[in-house]
Amino acid sequence: MSEHTTSPTCAWIHYARPRPHWYLVAEADKAALKADWAKVEDKARAAGAVCTGTYHIRGQHDFETVSVWTFPGSQAAYEHWQALVEARYSEFFAFTNNIGLEVAGGSDG
Amino acid sequence: MSALTGDTDVFTAERGGDARACIVFTGTRQDVLPGIYTETHRQAILEVLKELENEGWLLNQRCVFDPYADATPMALDTGFTHDHDIAGVFEAPSLDAAVAGTVRLEQAGWSRAFRTEWMIGLREFAPVFGKGAHEDHGWAFMALWEWNDQWCEATREERDEYDLECDIAFKGDLDHEVNISGRMRLDIAHGWHHLGYWEIAGPDVADSAIRGHETVADFKFTTSRHIVGRVLPLSSLIAPKHDDRKAANV
Repeated sequence: MSEHTTSPTCAWIHYARPRPHWYLVAEADKAALKADWAKVEDKARAAGAVCTGTYHIRGQHDFETVSVWTFPGSQAAYEHWQALVEARYSEFFAFTNNIGLEVAGGSDG
Repeated sequence: MSALTGDTDVFTAERGGDARACIVFTGTRQDVLPGIYTETHRQAILEVLKELENEGWLLNQRCVFDPYADATPMALDTGFTHDHDIAGVFEAPSLDAAVAGTVRLEQAGWSRAFRTEWMIGLREFAPVFGKGAHEDHGWAFMALWEWNDQWCEATREERDEYDLECDIAFKGDLDHEVNISGRMRLDIAHGWHHLGYWEIAGPDVADSAIRGHETVADFKFTTSRHIVGRVLPLSSLIAPKHDDRKAANV
């Protein structure tokens, strides 16, 4: 349990798939948007976030990819997501997200 | 924090101080056999709820409208129309506190009683009062919703026009003496983008108000799930279904 610490490590799991109109965006515009989103991710990494990778899951899920991140606190995860929203990411990708705190010693048994 | 969309006639961004976290939940009973969940667990959950209240949590949405209202933890009894049995909204001082608090509740015994979806986010808009409707209503309506692909594809002008159309429906809600406890933003940790929580006089009010939203084509740009329930003390909603004394035989 970590309720008495101020910023426990927070997992942030992000599922995504392109929205239909993403396929109509010109390649140059796609590249510019992707570059913006990459900058947001670089900024998160510089602030202590870690992404273990983005994995293809379309074969078993409604979404196409899942990315697994850890952030120094859920507020940092929120700020990363907000930066992506402001960079129009959620306009072009449908998503679902989870945040989670590390479990010490498993569940309640 | 910045909202996903701007202010309208009805809604304004929450002002003053840091944004508070919200915890939206739906729970389905799973204590199908004696011994899974007992009065001892219920007492442990009530103890955690008391601790959370002392740590600055708000466990009764009535207090959003009236800070001097009874702060007894409350939730919606939803089993009569939904596959989950209870639903509700808490507020916590921070996102980390929100997540940790749900774990504490689960570990106290909540996870034995309920299969729960905890949706954690931040308050986004300030509460709005219906016309002449400042008292407790007894019932509540929860709307989980997301912007759909069509909204995402729409231009800024189309979205602004849509917001103003929806404001007509929200003004209609206020005419139904509905109190709206602001708007909660859930997209950081869920597929639903938002929650709206209304105090209503009964299920018929929700139906009538939603017809107003259909009239202005609210659902053109959103997908939503609606939950209606009677507001009851959480202490009774989490009562064990089985007598402890029979558990020894299991």
